[in-house]
Amino acid sequence: MTLTMENSVGAPAAQAAPRNDLKFACRGVNVHYGDAHAIKDLAIDIEDRLVTAFIGPSGCGKSTFLRCLNRMNDTIAICRVTGDLKLDGEDIYAPRVDPVQLRARVGMVFQKPNPFPKSIYDNVAYGPRIHGLTSNREELDELVEASLTKAGLWNEVKDRLDKPGTGLSGGQQQRLCIARAIATKPEVLLMDEPCSALDPIATDRIEQLIGELRSQFCIVIVTHSMQQAARVSQKTAFFHLGHLVEYGDTTDIFNKPRDKRTEDYINGRFG
Amino acid sequence: MFGLMALILAVLTIAAYVLGRRRATAAAGGDLSVLHSRPVYHGAYAALLTFLAAFAAAAVAALVLRWFVDGSLNSLISELAPSLSSIERDLVRSDAAAISGGGFPSRVDELRQTVAARHGTLAGLSAVLIPGLALAAGLATLWTALKRVNVDFRARNLSERIVMGVLIAAAVVAILTTVGILTSLIGETARFFSQIPVHKFLFGSTWSPLSGVFEGRLDQERVGALPLFAGTLLITFIAMLVALPIGLFAAIYLAEYASPRMRSTVKPILEILAGVPTVVYGFFAAITVAPVIRGIGEALGLSVASESALGAGLVMGVMIIPFISSLSDDVITAVPQALRDGSLGLGSTHAETIKKVVLPAALPGLVSAALLGFARAIGETMIVVMAAGQGANFTFNPLEAVTTVTVQIVMLITGDTEASTAAGPAFALGFTLFVVTLGFNIVAQRLVRKYREAYD
Repeated sequence: MTLTMENSVGAPAAQAAPRNDLKFACRGVNVHYGDAHAIKDLAIDIEDRLVTAFIGPSGCGKSTFLRCLNRMNDTIAICRVTGDLKLDGEDIYAPRVDPVQLRARVGMVFQKPNPFPKSIYDNVAYGPRIHGLTSNREELDELVEASLTKAGLWNEVKDRLDKPGTGLSGGQQQRLCIARAIATKPEVLLMDEPCSALDPIATDRIEQLIGELRSQFCIVIVTHSMQQAARVSQKTAFFHLGHLVEYGDTTDIFNKPRDKRTEDYINGRFG
Repeated sequence: MFGLMALILAVLTIAAYVLGRRRATAAAGGDLSVLHSRPVYHGAYAALLTFLAAFAAAAVAALVLRWFVDGSLNSLISELAPSLSSIERDLVRSDAAAISGGGFPSRVDELRQTVAARHGTLAGLSAVLIPGLALAAGLATLWTALKRVNVDFRARNLSERIVMGVLIAAAVVAILTTVGILTSLIGETARFFSQIPVHKFLFGSTWSPLSGVFEGRLDQERVGALPLFAGTLLITFIAMLVALPIGLFAAIYLAEYASPRMRSTVKPILEILAGVPTVVYGFFAAITVAPVIRGIGEALGLSVASESALGAGLVMGVMIIPFISSLSDDVITAVPQALRDGSLGLGSTHAETIKKVVLPAALPGLVSAALLGFARAIGETMIVVMAAGQGANFTFNPLEAVTTVTVQIVMLITGDTEASTAAGPAFALGFTLFVVTLGFNIVAQRLVRKYREAYD
């Protein structure tokens, strides 16, 4: 990390955000992996059009909970989710909800950039093609260009859209994955440690991008870097051993944590 | 003889290891950290070098002695019986070897007894000389290796280099074998084509190569291999038609949908299928499948030969399923989970993910699997012999009896025609098969390179 604790935590970029519409309302969420109790009776409200950061030591359940929000945990056979998770007031674990459609509304960016081994264009066009978002080639071209532009990648790749996405640098690949996710026109973007495989410059680029995207999406980001949480998020949730310990405005969490564990964690005493 | 050699090699190698280690430990003088290489490496270095030297000495000695013994016996035979032809001379020699070694000679006479006596003497000599030379070479190498042991000696790097040399040698053996097969194919094939014009062979439609052998030469009009190519193509096509879809679909199910328990049950069972000898498939095809096909065909009012391309092709297809499914399953499983997650995370279904992400990413491996199956199908002989017949009918009707290139090679080589006559057509067929398979492989590799989606 190029930045130190003092200059990021002492003066977080994020200001206390105005109250927005609720996107997710979760109550009494429990997650089990086989016999392991990964998330314990969790309740959280996530607001639209701002960035919510999940922080906490490894194994605290933050990624697990993130993957509940688009039902990616369904792909893990031994994982069991119970409780009440509502997106726009609608229970996303109700039997009539199709997880496939849910994932089109709740996009996800993964820890390691995972572009498909296809051309840059086909990577971005993947979601729109599957969901039939465009009716002809011109519309698709426009959507691809718009998504790549939003992801801040258009100028770097416009001359080589037919080249494989796997040939890009790590940071570019991750922005390609973000472009791919927003091309599907989701309402929510989940990001699971999106910068942990990237160098500081690429990380900085992604963080700027998150700042630009938050006016259009509800963004939830899991991060191991407290500086990153402080820089990009307006709300922060601190997880510990499967519990949501503290949740509030990012400035408050970092400047006057109410819980002793939060204070210890953000001051680097454990984790 | 063999036991003695093995004993000498084992004793030398173990001794070299122990001595090398001990000497290195002694050279370190109590502080092992001053050694460049740990004592085990000194031991390994001495052992490897000693083993290789002794082995090489034994091999060279055996070859030279063999050459010397044969020469000496030959000159003795031509001295005693100058009128013998070289083939008879070889026979006398092998009989003599049998007499002196306690085997079963074809006959015993005075000449053979004399030669056997000389053979006995010489064999006794080699039985002492070969192990002796191996022992001497081993000891000399061991002595030099031990002399080189000191704290700075890089035994670790050197022993690794020796191991690399052994690995290279193994690879070279494989390549040389291929080159050897190719050379022998080319030689005989060239001789065949010096008698028969290429187009008569490739495009002639009558295959009965041995019908003219009584005149001592092949009849140009009867070595047309077209019926064989047609038969091979037909059966291979039927087999791939069965094996490709079933193998691939089974692999997709196993890799993507089956529960771990299901997978761990089904996969071994499929692999048992690959272990069934092709002879068994052959009589299964001939005894069980062929009558069923015939019955169905006759119920439909078709005339079905009791040996048909269809029966052989179907059973061959079943035989190839496990090769394709097992390999495909492995390549599909090797596609990173991250790609699947990425696709699912964009709201595509499991099937869309398989179709649009997993299979394209696995394509090169899937093509290899198909190629392997194809090669098995083209090369398969036993099932065809039993179930498709031997008549060289020029037909593409799967309900008739056909024969394939490989079956005809077997017929030619195992028949009671003299090898020198039968070899020509057999080698020409083998060569054609080789060229076709090679060409097919090259085209497939090109295609894969063009459409591959590398996920690294």
